Amino acid sequence: MATLPNGRELQGKLFIVEGIDGSGKSTQLDLLKKWLIGEGYCVAFSEWNSSPIVGQTTRVGKKKHMLTPLTFSLIHAADFADRMERQMVPALKAGAVVLADRYIFTAFARDAARGLNRAWLQRLYSFAVRPTVAFYFDVPLEESLRRILAGRPALKYYEAGMDLHLSDDPYQSFELFQGRILAEYQNMVQSEKLTVIDATLPLVKQQDMVREIVSPHLKGVLRTEPSAWRSALTGEALYGRYIDDVLHRKES
Amino acid sequence: METKVYGQDLLDLTNSDLPGRLIVLEGTDGVGRSTQIALLREWLESSGYAVASTGLKRSVLAGKGLDKAQEGHTLGTTTSNLFYATDFADRLEKTILPALRAGFVVLTDRYIYSMIARAVVRGVDPQWIRDVFGFALIPDAVFYLKIDMPHLIPRLLNDRGFDYWESGMDFLRHQDYYESYIDYQSQLLAQFDSMAHEFSFHTIDATERIPKVFNAIKRDIEILIKDMKRMEFTHSPQLGFGAANGEA
Repeated sequence: MATLPNGRELQGKLFIVEGIDGSGKSTQLDLLKKWLIGEGYCVAFSEWNSSPIVGQTTRVGKKKHMLTPLTFSLIHAADFADRMERQMVPALKAGAVVLADRYIFTAFARDAARGLNRAWLQRLYSFAVRPTVAFYFDVPLEESLRRILAGRPALKYYEAGMDLHLSDDPYQSFELFQGRILAEYQNMVQSEKLTVIDATLPLVKQQDMVREIVSPHLKGVLRTEPSAWRSALTGEALYGRYIDDVLHRKES
Repeated sequence: METKVYGQDLLDLTNSDLPGRLIVLEGTDGVGRSTQIALLREWLESSGYAVASTGLKRSVLAGKGLDKAQEGHTLGTTTSNLFYATDFADRLEKTILPALRAGFVVLTDRYIYSMIARAVVRGVDPQWIRDVFGFALIPDAVFYLKIDMPHLIPRLLNDRGFDYWESGMDFLRHQDYYESYIDYQSQLLAQFDSMAHEFSFHTIDATERIPKVFNAIKRDIEILIKDMKRMEFTHSPQLGFGAANGEA
């Protein structure tokens, strides 16, 4: 069940993925989404930090390094609230499957790693719907760093935790910051009842486990009439985030 | 140790030295807060005190974004509360606290109480919104400009007319702005009245004429600032305190 804070159970199902950068959670969620759509389920997707109303403020704040740990936390909570109110809750009430790439546990981990009080963070996000299943993709720090840093990407200021002044070197700062976040996640596995997936397993094996856990929850979930475009693509088993933009344009 | 915040002390204010004074003017829309703040600022600066002022939606970080979001009427209640909280936190950290550390008198047009009142009348859990704003510094004084509907309506009509958000049109179901305004503002006034004791408001009768209201506030502030250091200005009251003195 997906459950409102007041205890009311919603008709739809909410599956969320969590994990540090490089844990492979987005890939797994995308594979799950392709499968669910292929099975004819009505699927809504929500991504961390993507609210059109709040986004501009967050972008400027990050670009100009204006965010403190407190305003960083609050603006992400506002972003989450907007997606909760306008995207996730309506879809769940309608009986759809909602998939969220990162959820409140990302905020708990990152904001606590920035030194904010955990009890206050719990309270701040107490308006959030309780997910049907919250997957945590568990990966050792070294492995995630290897995956992320292999190509020596340009790390963003807040992404690397540079605001915490752990190190002047962005790569070293990133490693230290990710280490703190990982520790926060590990503390939450028990208390927040996260469903752990070993993210060092082969990709296909992980996806099999995810589908096996999701399947029993899909009874009675809203199914969609496939559109001509979708049916054509079903035959080829082609779904996912890359062609979604194109599809949306064609269908609207 | 003296408690300096209402709830969770996220900014470690209990251990910080804040020689300035934080003075809040609260009250509903159109009650005359900005007029009184202008008068107080003139008086304080001419008496030799360094003054900074701030108000809702004036943060560098979130002010513009909030304005824009309200234009489209697309803000949900929780989103709006948290957007305002972001705006408030930015002003607290970047304007109010630096000014207080530097010994300024900070005049604030509204504080967390307006945001609590607006949230609660929209059905938000009253304890949740108080907990979210728990990091707020407890002001040295909160002046609540109290007014009733018969006095408020002529002021509104003489001034700027009805506003979508100030009339609660986002959540009340009335045929027109007037009905909605009366309903919404009455609910807000009830919230303010119920907060007066909880947050130790100095209640000021705002149905009185402007000079009388000003004198009532001034009398209380004089007591608050009598031990404060005054600034010695050689030629100008501008202290180059960019973040705190920058806005009008």
